Amino acid sequence: MRVADLAHGRSGDKGDTCNVGIVAWDDAGYATLRAALTEERVAAHYGDLVKGSVTRYELPGIRAFNFVLTGALDGGGTMSLRSDHLGKVMYAWLLRMELP
Amino acid sequence: MSGKVVRLGAGMAFWGDSVRPAIEMVERGDIDYLCCDHLAELTMSILAKQRAANPERGYTRDVIDLLRGALPACVEKGVKVVTNAGGANPRAAARAIRALADELGLPGVRIAVVLGDDLEDRIDDLDRAGVSFDNLDTGAELDTVRDRLTHAAVYTGCEGIVEALDLGADIVVCGRVTDIALYLGPLVHEFGWSLDDWERLGMATVVAHAIECGGQATGGLYAGGWADVDGLETLGYPIAEVSEDGSAVLTKTPGSGGEVSIGTVSEQLVYEILDPGSYLTADVTADFTNVTLEEVGPDRVRITGGTGRERPATLKVNMGYRAGFVGEAQFTYTWPDAYAKAPRGLAFLRKRLERAGFRYTEDIVEYPGHTSMWGSRVPAPDDPDLLELVVRYAARCPDATEARKVFTESVPLYNNGPAGVAGVGTRPPLKELYAIWPCLVPREHVVQRVEMLEPATAAAP
Repeated sequence: MRVADLAHGRSGDKGDTCNVGIVAWDDAGYATLRAALTEERVAAHYGDLVKGSVTRYELPGIRAFNFVLTGALDGGGTMSLRSDHLGKVMYAWLLRMELP
Repeated sequence: MSGKVVRLGAGMAFWGDSVRPAIEMVERGDIDYLCCDHLAELTMSILAKQRAANPERGYTRDVIDLLRGALPACVEKGVKVVTNAGGANPRAAARAIRALADELGLPGVRIAVVLGDDLEDRIDDLDRAGVSFDNLDTGAELDTVRDRLTHAAVYTGCEGIVEALDLGADIVVCGRVTDIALYLGPLVHEFGWSLDDWERLGMATVVAHAIECGGQATGGLYAGGWADVDGLETLGYPIAEVSEDGSAVLTKTPGSGGEVSIGTVSEQLVYEILDPGSYLTADVTADFTNVTLEEVGPDRVRITGGTGRERPATLKVNMGYRAGFVGEAQFTYTWPDAYAKAPRGLAFLRKRLERAGFRYTEDIVEYPGHTSMWGSRVPAPDDPDLLELVVRYAARCPDATEARKVFTESVPLYNNGPAGVAGVGTRPPLKELYAIWPCLVPREHVVQRVEMLEPATAAAP
């Protein structure tokens, strides 16, 4: 099972920080993801795509998590050499993560 | 609580966004205000460069296209327009809008300009007043980039917009106000909220955030169900029907494509936020933590549960500075041995660049179609039967001369490098890099000013 089986998401940029929002489809999925998507596991899943830190926030009313990834966009949208310089598809990499 | 509802339409999400959704919204959407965000981080650097070349430029000219289509209906229906299209030159934008209104036979339109966000000429004074402008992320001192600055703009709040609307403006042209202020301004004007009514301002900020990126709230980029969204080509942009407590029902232009659902709105609520408990704006520290959504009809979602607390004591300043150029080349290797040829071709390019005295600070190699989105997290495309492999090489260079070398030195790959290569292409345009210098300024140093473009002579519509 992957995160994508339980949730959808969207990502974007603020300077060199990328945020990945993950929205669970139901309460059970939210609970599963709450246990599975720890900051440590998410950081490991992104590996060297994220040079800085991973911080998780919760929005329980919409069953969502917000992951803030610092140092994640090769210097930020205006400087980045990456094809995805604005982090638009970073959410999809987290949706691909296999759940234990 | 009164039953008054103020209808805010999100007209634009960025410079270059389609203007048609805004025009259709004014014509069909029963809105009171059209709120248009034209600015992103990079936009201000580009606009400042335009202004330096021509004192009548430096604003996003798509506002003229938008108003050419929308202004007649705005006047007829009494829809007011609040925009930050002024960018680096709000006065010039207002003059151009005045000329357009005259051309359209609408000379009675009252245009206000909100100023006070441009700090470029005040840096020395503020420095003497004790403002450090140290980089918020790195702590570095501004002196390290001072000679390369393109602009310095402070994210200002809604006060100037409120004042302009109180003065009777039909079109409010701003520079770097926050995206959120474009929406809070009309609400404070209409409801008479106090500027320290943190709960209402916080709730309204959540509403504004949900719609300020236009079609991203109405089915655009909807990861949760893009295949089931009908009418992406005629996507309707979002409308917030805001109540006196700051909560709202979100919907979209009647008869347009797309959808407004818990799914589409919740994705947008988590777009480009940091700590949802402390969403910092110039007007309020909003709290998204307990926001809730409820579908109350077809393409109608009620949004409640947002709140806020006191605004930050400092305002965010983004300065831009020139940071060199990108040199870039792309070429494609084919079967057989496509994956073996790619590093050989790259070694060829790098060796030739070295012999040309190439100077750069960082570079990157991507294989588009394989590794250009998630880099090294993706397995190497080492299938021996691989039919083709695209190679993209890019480097940050100190100047244009160095950046040009990348393409120049890639051309000989066509006849000196490994076999089975194509797609080297023609010389791409050079991209200049602008870096952002984020810093803070105490808010007492920033005062917005409102200018009515000319005395209001026409009667209110």
